[in-house]
Amino acid sequence: MTKKEKKLNLSITNPRVFDAVKLLCALLIALVITFLVLCLISKNPVKAFFTILTGPLSKRRYFGAVIESFIPYAFAGLAAGILFKSGAFNLGAEGIYIISGVSVAAVACSSITTSGFLHPILCVLAAAVTGGVLMIIPSFLKAKFGTNEMVVSLMLNSIYLGISMYLIRTFLLTKTTSTIGSKDYLPTAKIKYLYEPLRISPAFILLIIVTIVLYLVMFKTKLGYQMRLAGANPKFAEYSGISAFKLAIITAAMAGVLAGTGSAIQLLTQSSFYQPDKTATGIGFSGMLLAMLGRNNPIGIVVASFLIKYLEQGASVLYFSDTSVPSEIVAIVEGIIILLISSQYFLRGFREKMLLKEGLKKDAK
Amino acid sequence: MAETILKLEQVTKVYPNGTVANRDINMEFEKGEIHSIVGENGAGKSTLMKMIFGIEAPSSGTITYKGQETHFSSSMDAIKAGIGMVHQHFMLIPSFSIVDNIILGDEPKKGIFINKKEATKKTQELSDKYGFELDVTALVSTLSVAKRQKVEILKTLYRDAELIILDEPTSVLTPQETEQLFVQLRSFKEQGHTILFISHKLEEVKKISDRISVIRNGISKGTYRNDELTMEQLTSLIIGRDLDNDMDKYKTHENFENKKALVVDDLYMEMNGKPVLNHVSFAVKKGEILGVAGVEGNGQGDLVNCITGLEKTKYTGTITINGTEASSLSIKQRRDLKMAYIPEDRMGDGTAGKLPITDNIISTYYEREDINHKLFMNHPAIDLVSDNLIRTFAVKTDSNKTTVGSLSGGNIQKVVVAREYNTKPEFMIAEQPTHGIDIGSAEFVHHKLIELRNAGAGILLVSADLNEVIDLADRLIVMFDGEIAGYFPDANHIDESSLGMYMLGAKKQTAEEIGGALND
Amino acid sequence: MLSSIFSSLFTMNFLLTAIRLATPILFASIAAFITASAGIVNIAVESIMTFGALAGILGSYATGSAWLGLMIGLVVGVGVALLIAFFSMKLGADPILIGIALNTFADSLAIFFLYLVTGEKGTSASLHTPTLSKVTIPFIEKIPFFGKILSGQYVLTYVCWILLIILFIMLYKTPLGMRLRACGLNSDAAKTAGINVRRIQIFSLILSGFFAALGGMYLSLNSIHLFSKGMVSGQGWMGIAANGISGGRYGTLLLSAFIFAVFRAFSIIFSQSTIFPVDLVGAVPYFAVFFFVTISSILNYLRIKRGNVEEK
Repeated sequence: MTKKEKKLNLSITNPRVFDAVKLLCALLIALVITFLVLCLISKNPVKAFFTILTGPLSKRRYFGAVIESFIPYAFAGLAAGILFKSGAFNLGAEGIYIISGVSVAAVACSSITTSGFLHPILCVLAAAVTGGVLMIIPSFLKAKFGTNEMVVSLMLNSIYLGISMYLIRTFLLTKTTSTIGSKDYLPTAKIKYLYEPLRISPAFILLIIVTIVLYLVMFKTKLGYQMRLAGANPKFAEYSGISAFKLAIITAAMAGVLAGTGSAIQLLTQSSFYQPDKTATGIGFSGMLLAMLGRNNPIGIVVASFLIKYLEQGASVLYFSDTSVPSEIVAIVEGIIILLISSQYFLRGFREKMLLKEGLKKDAK
Repeated sequence: MAETILKLEQVTKVYPNGTVANRDINMEFEKGEIHSIVGENGAGKSTLMKMIFGIEAPSSGTITYKGQETHFSSSMDAIKAGIGMVHQHFMLIPSFSIVDNIILGDEPKKGIFINKKEATKKTQELSDKYGFELDVTALVSTLSVAKRQKVEILKTLYRDAELIILDEPTSVLTPQETEQLFVQLRSFKEQGHTILFISHKLEEVKKISDRISVIRNGISKGTYRNDELTMEQLTSLIIGRDLDNDMDKYKTHENFENKKALVVDDLYMEMNGKPVLNHVSFAVKKGEILGVAGVEGNGQGDLVNCITGLEKTKYTGTITINGTEASSLSIKQRRDLKMAYIPEDRMGDGTAGKLPITDNIISTYYEREDINHKLFMNHPAIDLVSDNLIRTFAVKTDSNKTTVGSLSGGNIQKVVVAREYNTKPEFMIAEQPTHGIDIGSAEFVHHKLIELRNAGAGILLVSADLNEVIDLADRLIVMFDGEIAGYFPDANHIDESSLGMYMLGAKKQTAEEIGGALND
Repeated sequence: MLSSIFSSLFTMNFLLTAIRLATPILFASIAAFITASAGIVNIAVESIMTFGALAGILGSYATGSAWLGLMIGLVVGVGVALLIAFFSMKLGADPILIGIALNTFADSLAIFFLYLVTGEKGTSASLHTPTLSKVTIPFIEKIPFFGKILSGQYVLTYVCWILLIILFIMLYKTPLGMRLRACGLNSDAAKTAGINVRRIQIFSLILSGFFAALGGMYLSLNSIHLFSKGMVSGQGWMGIAANGISGGRYGTLLLSAFIFAVFRAFSIIFSQSTIFPVDLVGAVPYFAVFFFVTISSILNYLRIKRGNVEEK
């Protein structure tokens, strides 16, 4: 075998470079549109725009809040990414975040251990097991009977919310205010900071490890290969002898474990007692968007989660000074980028022109 | 001199990816003739037809229809102008009735509603007029292939087509049905229709045509009167060289101890209450090719699905692959018994178009040790395997990272064959292995199958192309209506028309004769 | 107590509740059905309902007329449908991903606009908006039993019933409907018959947006006349579920949608008592959908196993 010299190919015709250019263009367009929207709704659009972009850097605790709060979202993104990558449209992470929270609350409220080290780990484990098991249901039905997993998983989300409310109300209720809430977690259950000023906790380390492992699984292992095949053409995967059923169960379980873990981290870092209809809602759904933003690549997903949370923090910093801009404006940025980067033909004409040019150059030689 | 109905001048078609499908085609078609267009697979016949029928626009050149230069922007324009086309793959909706299929796109109306009464009356009259013997209220899903083709032809007649294009119409018919079709075509001609007959079967072309146009490599090689060409001349015009058609010399008579690669015993399966596989039994020996002939849809597809393990419907009987009873095994377990499978639908089942060649070319043996480290896949090794296969199987591509979807049909098929070949199978199912690919690739695939057989593998070759089955197979079975209708222990000595009688169900051998398929 | 609840299930009131709740689900069902018939997927029904509901309220607030608000809601619904068409057909995006994204965004975007107008993020209660009223039909209301059903419904319920009939006739009796179904059953066949498949599919998406927006506005412009966050609460998905169960049969579609409405009615009646845990009762309609969708797919699976397949 002759060793090929790998040259860094920075030409636009290289698919990877093209993807990067596409992403940058999408980002640029999204920011321009955001600015235009700000012009319409804010009295001082330039200042508002820059506050959103730089606000989180203005105070250390703002930035710390980003670091702490993006972790559960990143886990939700990873969960969705695994499922999407293997062609599964199981949208159940939202429900998993909610019902795993019950397991977390149950463990966090019990004096099962007095160790401040072990207690959060037990909480995470309980949530991971809950998530791993329950996430399988829609994927099992889909793989075995061809059930519409989107509908089933969404219905389960609502069912899980009902069940969670019931369980908290029946077994863990103390807050008798208008909303349903559990008792306070025991202090030992809290996740402790490793570096408090930036709110870096073991959860952050866990996320990094999980991301690297998932990256390796997706791109370097047989399981990742199976997921790729099933995602690209399920009939071909079946023909090749890959058991669609086994794969569906494994990926769903993995996604469930990730979602459960994310739920535990959300509860133990962002709350002191559990409200099923508040504490961890919306994260599972956001995860699907983050997976799309990150193109189902674990590293991409984590970066996307951080950026979106960063912008949201920026928007809420802006809100302190300028209440005319709701923080939901970030959804516009997110939406535009997702629509553009999931469009295969966006900028395609441009790329084809470049390909043609390159081809002509080759011919000339 | 007869009136010219259609004239092509300097017609050229270049696809965006640079492929030149047709170059400077000049042809004239006379009113009321049967005019064949012949050429190898991939010679550019179908692109030419698409341009005439308005599906594609020519890059340059002019098409003149009835004395007027045409610029059809869709098939709708062509239909309006009086051109009809019967596609090779039927364009019918099974759950619609014949009437609905025929009137679709040109419905008789009563106010805003469809005038069902008039539609039924009109189509029934049309069917009777041409002697099609169809009950037009029947659902298309209940019809045989030959009858579906009649519906397709009726569709063009309903729209008053004067020029009817038939794209490989006989490829799905038995010799007897073909004969019937020809009678019909001649009667259309007498009524003033012009027929454009596309085929690569030269005998049929000689039989039916008034004139013949030849295309080779996208270039027209002239138009000839049928009676001024011999078969040999026609062949050399099409091929441009002598075709090495005699596969026989590759056959060896080595004995592989009569071991069986596949034994199918008493296979029975029902669909909608009707048997689609009716107690089928046969065996494939190691070192032989067993051909399965038959009109499409007579159970071959279900048979293949049962053997490969893709079948979702319950069946009874046993399937033994290389000595192991496999009817309850998964696809993977069957592949582990050294079974390989070249599927009919290479884009749907055989590849993932979005993924690169590397991912596609290892899919059936991705767990093999030589392309894996302990936990991880060995990507340099995978590149090496891919590059080797790309070279040996002459796949035309710049790089092993090219997505399979952007390759040509012949090259995609080579990727599939290369992959299956590389599993070192002892039993292979080849289902329509050369369907719709260029003749060079087809020949290549045939040679690889024979190479595999000579190395001792048993091959089950399922094909609707009679020439292919007869040329390659050692023994042959014919399927009709879910049963084995005939068994021919020596595929070298078969009379094509008697084979046709079995394909059509007009003849059936005794159970004893058919038993040879299992026991010989 | 329990028996009184059960007896309340067999009353006129219960039936009327179910009929009232059926309207938005029926709208959602035909929104899903029409695109599926034309061979494309639109899973964004839920989000179009949300946008429609909000646009209807904001529109009627801005114009002072519920009818003008309705028009604005319809324009927005159709606009979102066209957006889906543009991205999936013109720019080659996966329609399922687009749908998932839209559904997920719907709430945030709705709140964004709601906030811009009202300064609040939860509901539009602070806006004084005109609403569509109930319609009593003289004479018919006097007919025993049927009078109460046929008369006294909201305008949009009548609109729904009329649309159901028109849609049926359109799909099964007119050339347009036949072509539309042909696109879904075999788009190649439709294409070679000279039908512009893409144009038909865009048309079906527009209709889908129209129906879904009506479903959304039934929720906001009627009795409670306000928009609140999460008010669509899965009813768009119930429509998609009904379409899935229907297997392309119009009657089954409407029946499934109505059954889902019946379960919503159950849930409302039971939640007024204290016998059953209120949280679980609230989940009953979703469980019903889950149950029926699963059962229908299992039956389908067994049918294939037994070798009963339809050739479409």
